[in-house]
Amino acid sequence: MSGDALRVVIVDDEPLARTVVREFLKHHPGVAVVAECGNGFDAVKAVTELSPDLMFLDVQMPKLNGFEVLELIGRHVPVIFTTAYDQYALRAFEVHAVDYLLKPFSEERFAEALTRARGRLQSHEPVPDIDSLVADSRPKSGPVERVLIRDGSQVHVIPVEKIDYVEAQDDYVCFKAEGKQYLKDQTMGALESQLDPARFVRIHRSYFLNIERIARVELYAKDSRVAILRDGTRLPVSRAGYARLAKLL
Amino acid sequence: MYPLLARRSHLAVYLLLWMLMGILLAAILALLGGLPWTNALLGGLPMAVAYSFICLSAWYVARSMPLAGTGAIRVVATALAAAAVSAAMWLVLGRGWMVLVATRWPPAQGARTFTAIQTLLFGAGVLLYLLALAVSYVLVVYEASQEAQRRGLQGQVLAREAELRSLRAQIDPHFLFNSLHSISALTTADPPSARRMCLLLGDFLRQTLALGGADRITLSREVALIENFLAIERVRFGDRLTVAVDAGNAGDCLVPPLLLQPLVENAVTHGIAHLLEGGTVRVTAGHDGGWLRIVVDNPCDPDRPKRGGAGVGLANVRARLRALHGEEATLLAEERSDRWYVEVTLPATAGEPA
Repeated sequence: MSGDALRVVIVDDEPLARTVVREFLKHHPGVAVVAECGNGFDAVKAVTELSPDLMFLDVQMPKLNGFEVLELIGRHVPVIFTTAYDQYALRAFEVHAVDYLLKPFSEERFAEALTRARGRLQSHEPVPDIDSLVADSRPKSGPVERVLIRDGSQVHVIPVEKIDYVEAQDDYVCFKAEGKQYLKDQTMGALESQLDPARFVRIHRSYFLNIERIARVELYAKDSRVAILRDGTRLPVSRAGYARLAKLL
Repeated sequence: MYPLLARRSHLAVYLLLWMLMGILLAAILALLGGLPWTNALLGGLPMAVAYSFICLSAWYVARSMPLAGTGAIRVVATALAAAAVSAAMWLVLGRGWMVLVATRWPPAQGARTFTAIQTLLFGAGVLLYLLALAVSYVLVVYEASQEAQRRGLQGQVLAREAELRSLRAQIDPHFLFNSLHSISALTTADPPSARRMCLLLGDFLRQTLALGGADRITLSREVALIENFLAIERVRFGDRLTVAVDAGNAGDCLVPPLLLQPLVENAVTHGIAHLLEGGTVRVTAGHDGGWLRIVVDNPCDPDRPKRGGAGVGLANVRARLRALHGEEATLLAEERSDRWYVEVTLPATAGEPA
């Protein structure tokens, strides 16, 4: 890191909270604030475009919370959480946060966190796969309420009730919702642990279906059926998929 | 425990009454039985005292056989049977005693024997026992009503304690942590604002503590409190939060303290805080036709995570309204085209703050 400044992004929806971080950083030479973001969307954009060395991240923010920002970034940027809530500390630890600062925090405590971050950057610790970490911590907090998809520096938030079905496409999954489709770099297996099993049925190796969209199921050939959705879309239903569907309906 | 035995003074009165009964009995023995007065008194008084204790059993009969829920025939049959057994037992004891007395002071010739009046004594014994049973029933009913009253009072005390606990819980500590963090930022960036924020926070906490102890406060005072709260939140959220509060013609109406505070706090933390551009928290009130109607509404993000803690504050407000006004007060909370809308209706009572 010597020579180069430590490039930092500050994310907090409260302007005064950002002021505190900025002010405390002033007393640390070799640190450059490259972006300040007031919400999760801006944070994802800034991290994608600027690839900072360190991020100060609030948890409760409009649109995307801090953990959702991390999930969307999809790769490891060292993070120092700043929040008034102590109940996220365990989750922060699970996603390998550098530190967890509880508001209001002192300048000494802040300096300690910064030192820890520099240490982490210099040691070149193996970068844990955030995707799997986030997925790991998911089942404990129940099924997701919304699916987050990053498209370049743009973020889509899809409430699960708006999803019609999900289709596997090579290494991606494709979400169909409100006439649009969104690609996400995820496996069907990882998705299965996130979706509410009371709402989404795996009707086929390559399909999850929102049961509220189903109009009827027809016999297509021997041992194979087809699900017809309210909008007329036809999706294949495997034998095992039909058994799962029948159990739910 | 038998109520008479629990208090010595009650027992003394009871025994005194039975002594009088004993004198009466002695008179019967002397006049109808033809016994000399010495024998009559020596026989009658101890017999009365003995029967006073036998009659205590009536209380247990009354308690084990409540009048409500027991058939009339069964009650009468049991009462008569208990009375007959008691009277018979008493006569046997009495007879033995009289014989003992007679050996010491032999009655004069011509005196009628105890046997001659034992039918009369038996009848008196049965009647006395039935009287004791009737008194016991009165005592049982009285005790039950006392117990119910005591339980009612205890319930009120518990409800009041729960209310105070919920009041304290309504002030979210994270609101304080975040406000303190804002002050921390302002101390160097804008010292006069830091001081102003300290004063706002101090005022808010003092009002909260003062109002928490009151039963009812005027709506104007509650509105002053939430305006104070919103002023603090405006320092944190800046331009994202705007406020429109109008108590209308209802400023003098009485409301339970901190009724609106949790609703306004929800409006900020679950409404405005989730919006990129923020919005206005609106509080409007008015009363007509004996009803006070208060509306708190705010814009909200339809895609916000729904699994929030908004339910706790709302449930608290609902429980308090129910405790104070029963079915008369209502709380309506719903999303109406991207606005979160909470309407509280309660009977309007005007007056000075308690």
